[in-house]
Amino acid sequence: MATFDYNKEALDNLKITDTSILDRLVDATSAREAHLSKDHSKRDKRVSMNEAVAEFVKDGDIATDSGFAYVRTPHQAYFEMIRQGKKGLHFIGSPNTNQSYMINFGVCSYSHNSYVGAEMRGTDRNYSRQLKNGKVTILSEWSHGSMAQGFKAAQLAMPGVFSKQLLASDILKYNPYVRTMQNPMRKDPDPVVFVPALYPDVTIIHVHAADKYGNARIYGPIVNDTALAASARRVIITAEEIVPEIDIRYNNKGVVIPFMYVDAVVEAPYCAVPGNMPGHYYWSRQWWEKFLRFSTLTDENLTEFMKYWVFECKDQFDFVEKLGGAKWVAMAKRLTKTTEYDNEDDGYDFSYEEYKPGNETGIYY
Amino acid sequence: MTEQKPANPLEMVAFVLSRQIKDHQVVYVGTGLPMVAATLARKTHAPNITLVYESGGQDPIPGDMPWSVGDPFTWRKSPIVQEMTYSFAQAGNGYVDIGFLGFAQIDMYGNINTHMIGDDFLKPKSRLTGSGGNNDLSSLNENMVLVGLQSPQKFVKKLDFMTSVGHLAGGDSRQKAGLLGKGPLAVVSPAAVFDFEPTTKRMRVKTLNPGVNFDLCQLASGFELLKPQGEIPVTEMPTPDILEILRNDVDPRGVFTSMPS
Repeated sequence: MATFDYNKEALDNLKITDTSILDRLVDATSAREAHLSKDHSKRDKRVSMNEAVAEFVKDGDIATDSGFAYVRTPHQAYFEMIRQGKKGLHFIGSPNTNQSYMINFGVCSYSHNSYVGAEMRGTDRNYSRQLKNGKVTILSEWSHGSMAQGFKAAQLAMPGVFSKQLLASDILKYNPYVRTMQNPMRKDPDPVVFVPALYPDVTIIHVHAADKYGNARIYGPIVNDTALAASARRVIITAEEIVPEIDIRYNNKGVVIPFMYVDAVVEAPYCAVPGNMPGHYYWSRQWWEKFLRFSTLTDENLTEFMKYWVFECKDQFDFVEKLGGAKWVAMAKRLTKTTEYDNEDDGYDFSYEEYKPGNETGIYY
Repeated sequence: MTEQKPANPLEMVAFVLSRQIKDHQVVYVGTGLPMVAATLARKTHAPNITLVYESGGQDPIPGDMPWSVGDPFTWRKSPIVQEMTYSFAQAGNGYVDIGFLGFAQIDMYGNINTHMIGDDFLKPKSRLTGSGGNNDLSSLNENMVLVGLQSPQKFVKKLDFMTSVGHLAGGDSRQKAGLLGKGPLAVVSPAAVFDFEPTTKRMRVKTLNPGVNFDLCQLASGFELLKPQGEIPVTEMPTPDILEILRNDVDPRGVFTSMPS
């Protein structure tokens, strides 16, 4: 069993006394063992969303936020984790926006934090409140890029990278995993930050198309997902559609995840709702505005919001009905394809009414 | 022709930011006013710039204003969409000319905070977004321009958390710490434009926006601002034509440049 040397100042600042909680994220040996002990055979891995989450997401796991906060992110799989009552997970991701709404239900208890929020749409007051209430504990603080380098190092099977990011910032004082060192190649002083390879327990990645073996194709931003798929001990692929293997072979331009990484394949159209799925649907802008401007204000608001959108939905199809059903689907498809310039934009109007409390339109534009 | 309303403070900030961009530059952009500024620059004095976003998009063909840095408008028919590590690495490897960042707090050396307000990290008064790509760009990019509101609570003697390093403790301390790039070039607030005094690297008033004098600007800062030699120039104002472009073509719905009601 590997033993680890953590940044003492950060441990003190974060008040972490039992460091064993930090180990699995940087334990390359156990990740390799997990990869070795998987069934490597090329076999049909299709299961339902319910089965995939029940079997491959375990209480206490280090789980990832994938895609880019609300772009190609498997929100519907996260909602299934909430419905199944998963407990005590650590969340990691750059960004790590969606950990927030999972804290209130005990799904997320620990955070490897890089960013929470929705940029100009407003700050996430729920995260701030849960932190103060002690419902979530930060185990390490990161920037997007430095955490991404940790995932990339794992994908490359390297112990870590020497980074030029984080240097001299306060983030170093709140991250037990990273430390400042002298660049070993240089005689003159050249400080660098060592970022270790990061190995999550489980990652769920939403893709445009996968075959039944798990070969997966993504269109648009990959962000960190090839690295997450390569490093995580368990990988669930959710896909807008399941295609024959021959389709993957002949249209191999966007195939970024090879089947051997993958434990489960879920046919899950609209799994990224209410986020954006390039080529398929634009995000529901009003849903996110309502999330930030109403539900994050108090615990009661969030409970009410999630009751309606998660507990009173058994799957993504119920959710889509609430967004506005077929009309919402058509509009969301038109919006993303126009944005991507696969539909005509001449004369197309992107304006919509922003969500304000009390102003419900019935369709979540 | 109806009479044109003068530029509001946010339009002024967008315009001033746009003037920091030179034609043919590669520009790293975040959401909000930087995106407005880059679009305005492209539609006015810098039609040949290339935009880069941390979500991976770069060099999109022009479209409407993105709703977020992950919006498909940021990679609209891009020749390539980069993974996140590769995107930041372009800044580190010297392919990006200028970048823009926002802040919740800034100190006299241009170090910034987007993490928290309060003195206890574990129980902050208010937890903010965290770094995102803020630290990465500050650490790697050759030239940074910082943009934010100005008040004694935002221009502070000591940051509650140093998310990103600007000129660190002044002088050559940034270089000694091993960071790449020159550090912040300018700070743009609704009151003034600041640069950094070359030796001490302390923030210095460069130009004052119309209606603002030095004393007023100092009153809205928690640390001592440096005063340049001689009379302080007034910040360049957008011409009526540029204001028209900003209002009609760049942000027609006023998503980022209309004043909160």
